[in-house]
Amino acid sequence: MTGSDRRVSAALVVALVAGVVAFAWPLFLRPESGISAAQAPILFALVLPLVLAIVLSELAGGRMDVKALAMLGVLAAVGTILRPLSAGTAGFELIFFLMILAGRVFGAGFGFALGAITLFTSALITSGVGPWLPYQMLTAGFVGLFAGWLPKATGRAELLILATYGMVSAFTYGWLMDFSFWPFAIGDGTQLSFDPSASPWENLHRFVLFNLATSMGWNLGRALTNAVLVFLLGAPLLRLFRRTARQAAFVPLGSTAPLAE
Amino acid sequence: MAPEGTTTLTTLHPWAWWCWAIGIGIAVSGTTNPLLLALIATAMVVVVMLRRSSAPWARSVKAYLLLSLFVIGMRVFFQVLIGSGSGDTVLFALPEIPLPEWAAGIRLGGPVTAEGLVRTLYDALRLAVMLLCIGAANALANPRRALRSVPAALYEASVAVVVALSVAPQLIESAQRVRRARRLRGEPAKGLGMLSTVAMPVLGDAIERSISLAAGMESRGFARTRGLPIRGALPLMLVSVLCSVLGLFLLLSSTWWLLASSLLVAGLLGTAWGFHRAGRALRVTAHRPDSWGWRETLVGVSGIGAAVLVLALGWLDPSGGALHPSTDPLQWPDLTVAMLVVTALTLAPLLLTRARALQTVASVRHDTRVRSLRPQVQQELASR
Repeated sequence: MTGSDRRVSAALVVALVAGVVAFAWPLFLRPESGISAAQAPILFALVLPLVLAIVLSELAGGRMDVKALAMLGVLAAVGTILRPLSAGTAGFELIFFLMILAGRVFGAGFGFALGAITLFTSALITSGVGPWLPYQMLTAGFVGLFAGWLPKATGRAELLILATYGMVSAFTYGWLMDFSFWPFAIGDGTQLSFDPSASPWENLHRFVLFNLATSMGWNLGRALTNAVLVFLLGAPLLRLFRRTARQAAFVPLGSTAPLAE
Repeated sequence: MAPEGTTTLTTLHPWAWWCWAIGIGIAVSGTTNPLLLALIATAMVVVVMLRRSSAPWARSVKAYLLLSLFVIGMRVFFQVLIGSGSGDTVLFALPEIPLPEWAAGIRLGGPVTAEGLVRTLYDALRLAVMLLCIGAANALANPRRALRSVPAALYEASVAVVVALSVAPQLIESAQRVRRARRLRGEPAKGLGMLSTVAMPVLGDAIERSISLAAGMESRGFARTRGLPIRGALPLMLVSVLCSVLGLFLLLSSTWWLLASSLLVAGLLGTAWGFHRAGRALRVTAHRPDSWGWRETLVGVSGIGAAVLVLALGWLDPSGGALHPSTDPLQWPDLTVAMLVVTALTLAPLLLTRARALQTVASVRHDTRVRSLRPQVQQELASR
């Protein structure tokens, strides 16, 4: 472990803390604070880009050599093309399995950067920039990040782990995004609306009902897509990524390149 | 030193547009007055229509309008279906459907009141206009130029984004090539099997491309990342951003808004200073950078001014007043002078910039001067 390794994890820990606060805001927003439920996600959308900027400048600027940077750009381009293809068809999201596999092979930091940059670039191309974008970038980054922290395994067991993780992360992604924008999407004054004066448990109960009614199909579709794609393309893609990693020796600066496995 | 960039009246720094749009968006978030919202929305659309370029992203405002309508429709749908039925003016009643035990407290259908519906419409309209503000910034600011003006510390990350944006069209071409080759070999191009047989060659191609791209970038001096140049500024940035997150948490969850907002502002300033320090360590230069002049400052200030004005009005009159017209009992919303000022601030960029000159294209087919003559010619032909 070099000094820069520890610092990356410090930046990622800060991102995790900021992410938890940003996604859990409906649980701690109090009515007496004077901030309305429509303003809260906007406020976070102004602070989260700073968090993302720090983590990305640290990951891309300090930890990656030029080969990793080019690989990051090209894989983000693949995701950028896949995203509009999959939009609008019941949760058929094609981008996550790529982040999961790349995060698995190239490491957690690369996975985070790939997730965040893929979402950013595809938002630029489809002009989907909005207050939801920092949230999406952060969540997709976490999908790639945790993929890099999965336990060691080979062969079928590895595919099984990755597919399971694909399903779990698909649901988590959907729930987190829905939860942070739920008060925003449905508005107030309905029985399933966010109510700042109600207790966190009451709000959570309302959210679960709202989410079951509106987003279950999407989340399930996304989870199945991830699992199927990992089983279909996982083995050859992992092989391809690992071969490239060996060729280009994606190693932290200052340490020696590993020999072929 | 004289600024290197050339300034024209037609192009504004992309971040000035973003600053203006975000400021107006914050102003919009502080009101539910439908008259003010309608005025701001109209002003926004006018500015976009008169000042946008002919680039592809300039057409994005339509997508945001559709999204806004979808948001309004969805909220009204939920209000009608599971509204809490506050107010007395019952417009109509849907048959009630009781839900099972685990969904206790929820009923579908029931009476739909004018008060509940108007309240939902006001709130949905606010959200729709906020989306429109973001759409306006998307349409007016050139994303590639905005990317070029990011802080130097983000240089490497922006290189990755630029690589992604330029490689994406090549990948589509690569996918078409693989499919064409498959068709020439007479292989069926259907089903899930096709997914893997097309996807793998395309991905392999992409990864080979990244290796050769890396070699090209290395020979052009991109491989200057030895160690971590932003190391000195990193603790400052991390502590500051944590500070601003804590400030935001306190702002939402407590009444200590003074402590919370000073933490938030201190955190933001600290982060900005950290980025400045990190950027100085990097010594990245830009080719013909976009200049930030007095017009950019004024456009930015007009957006921020609108936000400050609306937030100050809301702070002076916490009961709501003209910014939040009452929906129970129903009341016709008022329009005050301050609201006209907000609308004027939304329109301010019109005075500070000039419309783009129509582009002359080499092909006659797209030449606007020729095209404007076309109806005349057709008339003459028809009358002959």
